[in-house]
Amino acid sequence: MKNRLEELRKMRGVKQEDLAAALEVSRQTVGSLENGRYNPSILLAFKIARYFDMRIEDIFIYEDN
Amino acid sequence: MKKKYLYLIMSIIGIALIVSAAVLGDRISDTVNGVFAGIGAGLAGLGFAMWRFCRLEEKEPAVWKQYEIESRDERNVFIRLRAKAAAGEVLQWIVMASAWAAIFLKAPLWVVLVAVGIFLFKTVLEMCLMARYQKEM
Repeated sequence: MKNRLEELRKMRGVKQEDLAAALEVSRQTVGSLENGRYNPSILLAFKIARYFDMRIEDIFIYEDN
Repeated sequence: MKKKYLYLIMSIIGIALIVSAAVLGDRISDTVNGVFAGIGAGLAGLGFAMWRFCRLEEKEPAVWKQYEIESRDERNVFIRLRAKAAAGEVLQWIVMASAWAAIFLKAPLWVVLVAVGIFLFKTVLEMCLMARYQKEM
């Protein structure tokens, strides 16, 4: 699953550390999410969507294959 | 705050048990001595570690908050559980391999039976837990 996390974070000028603190996760988790190495739980996906005031499907792009 | 003192008391009891084991020495049986020393070391270590955690929570709230975030972080929890599961799986097959080694090395039968018993216990426990989690989720 791809996501626009890094793009959105940089657009808003937010550091990984600050995003991690707002989401109450570690900075490494934010990094892994951005690299696409880790897919978030639905709860974390909602938190991220709320943080950016967007819909989950606008941040995380589901691909069939 | 109450917890801090509880952990302090715990480590004091642990130290007292270790000292008792050392002081009483030959006057008590080796088993009791071992139990005193073992439980004492466990209580003292755990109590002291937890007491230090409580102190950290009081004195360095920011560090403590970060520690809590790191330990509850869903990716870290997932990694921890995955590592534990993989380690358990590896250990299970090592136990089975040791049972085979025991057979080839003509070890006493009880050694083989214990190894096979541990292997079977882990398998059965795994199935029970799977059934439980199937109901829960």
